[in-house]
Amino acid sequence: MKHLSSPELVEFIEGTLDARRAAHVGACDICRAAATDLQDVMRRASSVDNQVPEPSPLFWDHLSARVREAVADERTGGASWWLTSWRPFAPAAAALVVVVLVSATVVMRRPAPPVSVGEARETAHVEPGMDIDATIDPANREVWEVLTAAAADLELEDAHAAGLSVQSSAIDRAVQGLSADELNELGRLLQSELKRSSN
Amino acid sequence: MPTRAWEWTVRAEPGCKVTVTNPTDAELVAAVLAGHRDAFDGIVERHRRHVYQLCYRFVGNHEDASDLAQDVFIRAFKSLRTYKGDAALGTWLYRIAVNVSLNKVSAKSVRPEPLDALLRTHDLRAASGAESASEAVLRHERAGQVRAAIARLPKKQRATLILRMYHELPHEQIAGILGSSVGAVKANFFHALNNLKKLLS
Repeated sequence: MKHLSSPELVEFIEGTLDARRAAHVGACDICRAAATDLQDVMRRASSVDNQVPEPSPLFWDHLSARVREAVADERTGGASWWLTSWRPFAPAAAALVVVVLVSATVVMRRPAPPVSVGEARETAHVEPGMDIDATIDPANREVWEVLTAAAADLELEDAHAAGLSVQSSAIDRAVQGLSADELNELGRLLQSELKRSSN
Repeated sequence: MPTRAWEWTVRAEPGCKVTVTNPTDAELVAAVLAGHRDAFDGIVERHRRHVYQLCYRFVGNHEDASDLAQDVFIRAFKSLRTYKGDAALGTWLYRIAVNVSLNKVSAKSVRPEPLDALLRTHDLRAASGAESASEAVLRHERAGQVRAAIARLPKKQRATLILRMYHELPHEQIAGILGSSVGAVKANFFHALNNLKKLLS
């Protein structure tokens, strides 16, 4: 008969091996010796003081208090907690971004005070065909990048959730304020957008 | 363990308080995840003794076992959302305790309890006439040899031996803690005993 496997030897010394396989140990010197060795070392290991000394009765409450203090600043849920904790504030954040963008637009569209041609030549640095991005003050570039990134990520649903909606009169006013070139460009953009959406 | 009640407010119904007397582990976990941090006290209170004792088996002294037990509960709190309830909470905590302890022990050799601390325990035995001081010293030396030999076993064999021999957990639960099959646990136990024999001879 086949020798006992290591799991079977463990079952044998624990008394859980089935009777047919256990009977093999009586007939096999090799398996009997292996089982005896295991029993000896188990006896030796279990003969040591395996009782964990009981700590002071105050220790348990002290341990609980230490854990309580340590978790006081923690949050449950591992790495994903922050992903969910900001969601309730998303509409407010979206509203803030929109307000900042609208304010910035209003400020940029405010009619400039009249200047003389000479003054304009001295202050204007934008040449035709010049990259507008290059004209942004380096001190404000970081703020501008944050705003544009936030606007790019802004979902329409978030804007609606924030109670923001666009009024048609505002669009009319904006279109009326465009120059002829700007109107042409708007028309071109609308046509290309319509073509793209119909495909 | 004495019966204890935890009380918390139901978030969906403000003003509605729920008192749970002697809640199950699952109820405590659900309460913690719902934001009732004090419910975690219940989990600590219920499992701290077993967790501490398991840590003690790995490091062999109160100071390190105490630190490890604290670390186990902090890690459990941080990752409570990953606990799916497919195993008993105790088994899940044991799994964390084994990982934390094995990492600690591998980084730092086992530092057994000083003899005087054990002799304080012995004083109680001696007072009851159980053994003499020389017997206590001999027992301490033998225990130290066995603990040192166990500490030299490969990690999985060491964990299996401690959980099986000293915590008397069934093979099935050990398999759940170590994330292996019952057959593998028995084979590990066999190899642990064989290696222990070589280390002690």
